[in-house]
Amino acid sequence: MTLIEVTTPAHTPSDGAVVLRESRVRTVLGHVVLGGLGLLCIVPVYWLYATSLRAPEDIYSLRPFPWPLSVASYAEARDTVDLPQLLLNTFVMAALIALGQLVTGLLAGYAFAAWRFRLQNTLYLVFVATWLVPFQVTMVPNYALLNQLGTLNTITGVVIPNLCSALAVIMLRSHLRSIPHELLEAARMDGRGAWSTLWTVVVPNLWPALAALGVLLFINAWNEYFWPALVLQRTNNVLQLALHSFIGPEGTQWGPLMATAGLACLPVLLLYLILQRRIVDGFVRSGLK
Amino acid sequence: MRPIRLAAVALAATALLAGCGVGGAGSADSASATVQRAPELTPDQKVSITFESYNFGQAGPWSDTFNGLLTAFRAQHPNITVTAQKPQGNSSNPAADSVSSVQTQAATGNPPDVAQLGFSDMGFTVHQLGAKPLDDLVGADTVRQSFGGTHPYAAAAASLGQLDGKTYGVPFVLSTPVLYYNASLFTAAGLDPAKPPATWAEVADAAAKIKAATGKEGAYADCVTTQAKDWCLQSIVRSNGGRVLSEDRTTLQYAEPKSVQAVSTLADMVKSGASPKFSQQQAVEAFTRGDLGMILESSSLQGTFAKGAKGAGWQLRGAATPSFGSTPAVPTNSGAALYILSNDPAKQRAAWELITFLTSDQAFTDIAKNIGYLPLRTGLMNDSLKDWAAANPTTGINVDQLNRMEPWVSFPGDNYLQIRDGMMDAVEKVVLQGADAQATLTEAEQRGQALVPTGAR
Repeated sequence: MTLIEVTTPAHTPSDGAVVLRESRVRTVLGHVVLGGLGLLCIVPVYWLYATSLRAPEDIYSLRPFPWPLSVASYAEARDTVDLPQLLLNTFVMAALIALGQLVTGLLAGYAFAAWRFRLQNTLYLVFVATWLVPFQVTMVPNYALLNQLGTLNTITGVVIPNLCSALAVIMLRSHLRSIPHELLEAARMDGRGAWSTLWTVVVPNLWPALAALGVLLFINAWNEYFWPALVLQRTNNVLQLALHSFIGPEGTQWGPLMATAGLACLPVLLLYLILQRRIVDGFVRSGLK
Repeated sequence: MRPIRLAAVALAATALLAGCGVGGAGSADSASATVQRAPELTPDQKVSITFESYNFGQAGPWSDTFNGLLTAFRAQHPNITVTAQKPQGNSSNPAADSVSSVQTQAATGNPPDVAQLGFSDMGFTVHQLGAKPLDDLVGADTVRQSFGGTHPYAAAAASLGQLDGKTYGVPFVLSTPVLYYNASLFTAAGLDPAKPPATWAEVADAAAKIKAATGKEGAYADCVTTQAKDWCLQSIVRSNGGRVLSEDRTTLQYAEPKSVQAVSTLADMVKSGASPKFSQQQAVEAFTRGDLGMILESSSLQGTFAKGAKGAGWQLRGAATPSFGSTPAVPTNSGAALYILSNDPAKQRAAWELITFLTSDQAFTDIAKNIGYLPLRTGLMNDSLKDWAAANPTTGINVDQLNRMEPWVSFPGDNYLQIRDGMMDAVEKVVLQGADAQATLTEAEQRGQALVPTGAR
């Protein structure tokens, strides 16, 4: 009886309304905070496109809304740099790097996940350790190597030192370990070799992870600036270098710079929008066993 | 034992995978090395050379003009092939990467044959990057003649590439500090735009009036930040009778009374509100928008200012570097020279031919018309550049200042950049952050002096 007397008030309609109201307030507050943060994230992107659409004489204006709208900066960018060729070159470079890293990551991850061998953990640690070596440390040795190979000033030179990624190995090993060992054993008992098992059993089960990682690696390669700037000294053949060519000792050409940057963002943005769910799924699963 | 062995194996393998141990930098003081005369090229001798310039890193008229010049050079010298390249690196200003880029390539044994490098880097370029003495390479008479011709170099500019009595670099592009001002803001503040300030006291006074009357910022000297380097600061210090480095290049002197007084003058303008606490980029953009009354700046930004003035509807004018009281101001130069770095005699001669062409009347005319750089053969302004000079009256200020210009002094030794940046960090602290001038500059000078090599050149 006492218990009923004590617990009953918690279920009165008025208290329920209070709880509901509190919950709504919390939800609204949460959305306001998240909305504000979202806006903060969008402002630089908005400013990029707003500046690209300002008339050349208004380029230094701080007005939040560009008016009158002008495509003069896009025209100047088109006349100054070869945008279609740049997009093609950058796509080829990013695709080759992403593909190379996926293949090497898949083979290494498969070896680490499917077999037990001597110094396995040490070797794995070495891969992890290379991830921790800053690019600046390997920059000059890699440059010297490319010089000896005669691949400086070529897209090949940009791609070769980036064909292997520790991140890809770590992520794919993690995904591969989530595949039941019994499945691999069953494939072996069916008479499949290691190579056949990889392509007919492992890879089909790994598509979401490969897609997610592929997009991530592609975006990383697409945005890469420093290494192409070192290798491609005689040309501005990729987008990020072309962007930098609008900056110089005599000032920055903000209009065409923003117009080219706006165009450079679009392919990656589209790719992300199309594959967004796969990317999120892929990374969520990489943490689950 | 096992963990140690594991760690050793991991370390070794990491080094292998990371690609360490390939290549290496080798540098030695090459100024004292004997350089043989580079023989003339025979008519059928084919030579290929590389030319590195930050102008190739900037799209638009900069790279277009230089590519056009190389095409014209090719027509005159069909046996010489020039491959153009920009400096490697990721600085927002490609000129800032020039030295490190040459250094990286030198580490692979493959430096560019001709490089455009700043005057501030001259000591390092000669002693560490192996710039060749042109007097030895092609003969002192030939070098002297190259500065002459129908329209000779301005006398003060011709000697800027000399170190220890030898010519290593051929001055190519430079500016002296010009006080650009917004004539429309002058009028709005009740000032006479036809009488721009001639002294720092007048600059401070005009700046305060502009701020009070229009609410816009007053004056900014683009000479007080690390990013601005020290070419313009040296002008301000010299104008007050001070020095940043002793004449024998062994002792830093920027904490001595006259130098401190010069820096304090700029700091006082910030304290009084006559000068804003802006970064270089903020100041340039504010002036271009029409939100800043005056800026002491290199003429390399004149094109940007003119474009902004036209767009925002204000009038751009220029005046000479302000002085301290009645003592005439001492302008110094910014800019860069062309150096030969090649060790191959045929390439050296081809490089000299290229430099001679790039500093000819024809090249200076094209460069001035298309890019707006000051022609160092100043007589061109009464000849092929007459119309251009009439359309760009502020260029005359630079030409006048060339006659009384002193060189932008480079600091000695391998640590010249740390010495320079240490000084500029201290100046930035004093001027923009209100630190005590004497104490801050003295402390920086002592730290910098420790980096100056004994008996430095």
